[in-house]
Amino acid sequence: MVKETPSPTQSSKSVAKFLSALATGFLALTASASPSGDQNFSRAFAVSPERSELEVVNQAGTIKVTAGASPNKIVINARQSEGAAKIEATQNAMGKVKIEVTGRGRVDFEIAVPASSSLNLLSYQGAIVVTNLAGAVRARVTDGDIQIAGMRSAKVDASCTQGNVSFSGEVLPSGRYTLKSFSGRVDAILPADADFKLSASTFSGGMDLSAFQMKFDKRSHQLVEALHGVGRASIRLWTQEGSIYLRRKP
Amino acid sequence: MECRAVVSSLSDYLDGRNIWASDDEVEGIETHLTNCPACLNLKLELSELKNAARELPLHTPPLALWTRISNAIEAEVPSENGPARETQNASGWWGWLNSRKFTFSLPQLAAAGAFVAILIVAGISGIFGANQAPLKFQDVRSGLLLPEENEIKANLEHRLDAINARKAQWDSQRRADFEQNMNKIDESLKLCRHMLEGNPNDAGHQEMVRALYDEKRRLLEDVERLKW
Repeated sequence: MVKETPSPTQSSKSVAKFLSALATGFLALTASASPSGDQNFSRAFAVSPERSELEVVNQAGTIKVTAGASPNKIVINARQSEGAAKIEATQNAMGKVKIEVTGRGRVDFEIAVPASSSLNLLSYQGAIVVTNLAGAVRARVTDGDIQIAGMRSAKVDASCTQGNVSFSGEVLPSGRYTLKSFSGRVDAILPADADFKLSASTFSGGMDLSAFQMKFDKRSHQLVEALHGVGRASIRLWTQEGSIYLRRKP
Repeated sequence: MECRAVVSSLSDYLDGRNIWASDDEVEGIETHLTNCPACLNLKLELSELKNAARELPLHTPPLALWTRISNAIEAEVPSENGPARETQNASGWWGWLNSRKFTFSLPQLAAAGAFVAILIVAGISGIFGANQAPLKFQDVRSGLLLPEENEIKANLEHRLDAINARKAQWDSQRRADFEQNMNKIDESLKLCRHMLEGNPNDAGHQEMVRALYDEKRRLLEDVERLKW
C-alpha cells in the first residue's frame, strides 16, 4: 500500500508562502518499505490549475500520468523495485514540480495531475502512459513505448528511439501533434471529423492512412503530405524503421 | 540471414550474384538488404568502390618485370617435382586456384585492399557492437545537403564532445546501449544522405535526413537531462 503524506495545502500557511519557501528547496519523497522489499514513495504538491507544470526525468521504469480528482494538486506515487536510485522532487517559485531520478535502478511512477497540466516526461528505459489530459505534453523514451490516450491537448510531442508511439484524442484547431519513433510503430487514432494537415514519413516501413479520405499534396511510399478538411491542425508522423497507422476513433 | 552472414557474402554477391553464391543465398541477401539499412549502406559503398576502381586506367607492367618474376619462380621450383601444374591439380581446389594466372592492375589491388579493410571494419563492428573509442560525428560527405546542415552538425558535435568526455565514467552496459543507438542513427543518416545526394531536391529524403538529425539531437539531449 502506498502511504500518502499530508498535502502542504493542509498546512495553515498560505500557498504563496509555501511555494516561496520551496523556491530553492529540495523535498525528498516520503518512503515506506513494502513486504516485497520494494520501496514506495509518495508526495503531494499544491499547484495552480491554470499553470500546473510537471517534469519527470527517470532512468528506468514506467511513468503513468493521469488527470486526478483534485484540480489544484499533483500527487506522486512511486515504487522503487531495483537498484538504489535517488528520487528528488522539487517545486520552484513558479509552482513547477520536477521529479528527478539519479543513479541506477527502476522506479515506476503513478502521478495524478490537474487535467490542464503541462507535462515534460523522460524515461530512458520504460514506458510512458498519459491519459485524459488537456495540457501540452512532451514525452520522450529512448527504449520503451509511449501511449497517449483520451487527450484534449493542443500540443503533443511524443518520440522514442526504440519503441512504439500511440496517440488517441481530439485534434484541436491550430494544434500541433508530433509522433516519432526511430524503430517502432506509430499509431494515431483521430476523430472522423478531425481537421488537419498531415505529414507522414517512413524510410523502410509501410503506411496505412486509408481510414481518412484526404487530399494528397505529395504521395510516395516514403512520404505523404495531405489535408483532411482545410488543415487547421498539424500532424507529423515519422518512423525510420517502423510503420505508420492513421485510424479513425470508433 | 543475419548481418554477419550478409556482410561476409556481399563481395561474392557484388562479383556477379550467382557465380559464387547459390540462388537461396542471393535471395536471402536481397531480402536482408531491403530490411537492413546498415547492410544496404555497406553494399552501396562497396558498389561505389568497385565502380570507381573499374573506371581507373589499367596500367600494364613492363615486360621486363614479368620476366624477372617468372625467372624467380622457376628458380624456386625443384626440377625433380615435375611440372608444377600437375602437382597442383592433384591437390584439388587449392591446387587449381594456385595454378590459375591472376593478373591485377595496381588500382585493382588498391581497390581490393580497401574492400578487405571495409569488410574487416564491418565485421569487427558487427561482432563487438559498441567499441570503447569515443564516438565521432559520423559523416562521410563534406558537402552540405540541407541549408541548415552546418549549424546542425556543429551543435551535435559540440554536445557529443561533452558526452564523450564523460563517457569513461559510465558502466559498460550504459555505454554499449548509448553507442548502439547512436550507431544505428548514424548508419541511417549516412544512407539517407547518400540517397539525397543522388537527388538533392527530393523532399522525402530531405525530410528523412532532418528527422534523423533531430533524432540524434534528442538522444544526446536525453543523456544530458539524465545527467550521465
